[in-house]
Amino acid sequence: MTTLTINNISLSYGSRQALRDVSLVVPSGSLVAILGPSGCGKTSLLMALAGLVPIDSGTVTVGTRELSSAKVRVPPEQRGIGWVPQETSLFPHLSVGDNIGFSLPKGRRRTERVEELASLIGLTGFTDRAPGQLSGGQAQRVALARALAPAPDVLLLDEPFGALDSVLRHSLGRDVARILREKETTAIMVTHDREEALDLADLVVVMENGRIAQVGTPLEVYESPATPWVASFVGDTVELEGIWKDDALNCQQCGAKDFCGPAENRLGCTGHVICALGDVAATAQGSEPKNGDTVRVVVRPEWLVPSPSGIAAQVKGVSYAGHDALVEFDLTGHPERVRARIAAPFLPSVGQDFHLALRHPALVFPVEETEGALA
Amino acid sequence: MSRPPAWLTVLAVLAVGTVSIPLVYLAVRASGVPASELTAIFGRPLVRELVLNTIGLSIAVSATAIAMGTLIATIVTRLRIGAARTWLLISALPLAVPSYLASYGWLVILPGLNGFWPSWALLSAVTIPYVTLPVAAVLRGTSAEGEAVARTLGLGPAQAFWRVTWPQVRPAAIAGGLLVFLYTLSDFGLVAMLRFQTLTWGVQQAYAASFDRSQAAVLALLLVVIAVIVVAAERGARGSLTRTTATHSTKEPLSVGPRIVFTAVVALPPVVGVLIPLIGLGGRLAEATTLRALNPEGLLQATTTTIGVSVAAAVVALLLALPLAALAARYTNKWVPTLEGAGYLSNGLPGIVVGLSLVFFSLSVIPALYQTVVVLVFAYAVLFMPKALGTARASIEGVSIDLVNVARTLGASRFQAWRRVTVPLALPGIGIGALLVAITTMKELPATLLLRPLGSSTLATELWSRTAAGEFGAAAPYAAVLVVVAAIPAMILSGVRSVAKEEM
Repeated sequence: MTTLTINNISLSYGSRQALRDVSLVVPSGSLVAILGPSGCGKTSLLMALAGLVPIDSGTVTVGTRELSSAKVRVPPEQRGIGWVPQETSLFPHLSVGDNIGFSLPKGRRRTERVEELASLIGLTGFTDRAPGQLSGGQAQRVALARALAPAPDVLLLDEPFGALDSVLRHSLGRDVARILREKETTAIMVTHDREEALDLADLVVVMENGRIAQVGTPLEVYESPATPWVASFVGDTVELEGIWKDDALNCQQCGAKDFCGPAENRLGCTGHVICALGDVAATAQGSEPKNGDTVRVVVRPEWLVPSPSGIAAQVKGVSYAGHDALVEFDLTGHPERVRARIAAPFLPSVGQDFHLALRHPALVFPVEETEGALA
Repeated sequence: MSRPPAWLTVLAVLAVGTVSIPLVYLAVRASGVPASELTAIFGRPLVRELVLNTIGLSIAVSATAIAMGTLIATIVTRLRIGAARTWLLISALPLAVPSYLASYGWLVILPGLNGFWPSWALLSAVTIPYVTLPVAAVLRGTSAEGEAVARTLGLGPAQAFWRVTWPQVRPAAIAGGLLVFLYTLSDFGLVAMLRFQTLTWGVQQAYAASFDRSQAAVLALLLVVIAVIVVAAERGARGSLTRTTATHSTKEPLSVGPRIVFTAVVALPPVVGVLIPLIGLGGRLAEATTLRALNPEGLLQATTTTIGVSVAAAVVALLLALPLAALAARYTNKWVPTLEGAGYLSNGLPGIVVGLSLVFFSLSVIPALYQTVVVLVFAYAVLFMPKALGTARASIEGVSIDLVNVARTLGASRFQAWRRVTVPLALPGIGIGALLVAITTMKELPATLLLRPLGSSTLATELWSRTAAGEFGAAAPYAAVLVVVAAIPAMILSGVRSVAKEEM
């Protein structure tokens, strides 16, 4: 078992606190993405896990073996934790093969293992090349193979595709995720690319200011964010003001009834809100508003869909992105504007009248929490 | 960055302590001079003249170098004179030639040269690259577009340069000017050959006369004080360096007239500092009397001594520099910058000061070592350790800490990571640093004159003593070998290094 348990760790550089009471369990064999803006402590967390920086308090355990605490720090070479850093970091004085085999004792076994890893990353026949002769994507594959060579219990990847262009990034990301799953390697990948995190990971950890803001499956983090900040960090949002009603709408009255998925996909409606989008089903996130409270209503642009029976709106602007577009609407009779993601075949033109319906329960947050997050 | 291991700190402190011996001991020796004697020394007209000559020459040479160096760097980087890279390499050549070799070459042609103006002209020619190279590096790193924008805002070419480009290159030009000032202050061979009396000459005379060692100590300390004041003043005048990213801009084509003038300006220092002295040397070397008077055994012995002490000096300097370099490159706490700064202390120290101080030190502390090769090698190591320190630090720092960390996560201990990753990657740079120390040592003159063991001589001291005696022909073979073993490797090295920098 190589479950990684992080228990309440804190870390500071001088007076600057990089990690505050971070706790996380990474199940054996899973791929966890840590998502956050730059400076949120992502890289510090990886360095602490690799034993490259000491922690102030808390513990890091793999299986039953304690690796880090305020008193103990197992040195990096004895932790069984592999690391693929941000920039391409192949040893420039060694060939591709010697890079991959860096951690292995010399001998025939080593050559075999290097060949096996080279074929795993699709670079058979490249082992005699110098790192300088590789493309960026190839070099990152080699860095991955090198980290996998000693069969680490846990693998850390620090923005492994950050330097690559977006097309390569996506295909390489999927390849790497496949390799990690094949090897049943427990892995933590740091990224600031939300699509990469949502696409590749089993669990997404959203970090903000050295703290964990939310841990969940990609679906949970996107569809049911814990705070407005998480909501806007993992995707686009539309924010409105509304009045909370704590009785759930009868599904027959719900504006989303035509679109609402089967029960197992529903995230549950704990009440409804009266807002510019009408009377819509809603879930309160991390708070329990009272009946009649003014609340912050957050929806995602793609939850708003064209519907002849929906509320009246007028197109104010279209920001075109090829496959779809973010369309800005004036809602008839309301001062607020909303943006909806409309698929290309249904694109309206500016000035056109339109009808919109919400196909997903709205997310409801307390008003002050929004302000707190902004401050 | 984490806390440095204790053993590394101890080694670094030991290294700094060792290289501080000459300066500390000189201060101790000079402070022992009674006040009455001090007043007497400063009351002597000769001492006042030495001080004025030294400061006047240093200011004149550094001002010339700043003006000419900036001009040449601008021509090479901003105007289309053709073969810009080659011209930049050529303009670096005077760095490889020791000043006394340049004056020797000129004296062969014009034996009557002496005094301030020839000293000024030759020292300027030799030191201009100290300004040209850093300013050219800044100019290549900054966009020429700023000047173009200034032109569209109504400034003339000179005004645009003065208001846009000069503020950007000023820190580099002034830092280079400081090096030139320190070089001129420390120079002994050239001014002595051209019979222009400065403090270094005064120290040598006071020491050689041997009845007045207090005067030698006081004059040497005076040299140090001037150097310290100038370094401190430069810190204030330099300002901080700002860099913008370079963009390639098209250079205006030049018509034939200006092109010839500008090329001549660029060529002036290498012609004066390298070409003409080499012609003088070559001419004298080819003369029949020179060849008849050749003493192959003496020449061979001087050559092997020179190479032997230089290699030893490079090894010792490297050993002293490595712990300090590793500490400064990889760790930080409040003591590391201070320690590193102390390691560079001997950088501006005139060779004659270190030589004199070690004479006093060895005589009074370990007389058994007086006039042995041990003290001589130690003097070289103290003088040139900063050169090894700079390159070693940069080479170690050039090995990304990520690589070391990756090696650690792959199972390498701290020591194994050092052996398998840092050392192989940093070694070429460190080796070049050591080579640089060896080459510089071969050219050293004033400390060698004071410290060489009785009866043995180096190429530099042979060249010096024969020239001083007016035997230009007998000096020629030594000068030629010096060019071959020291100057030419230095030229190649500076070429290699500047090309390597371009490609990075």
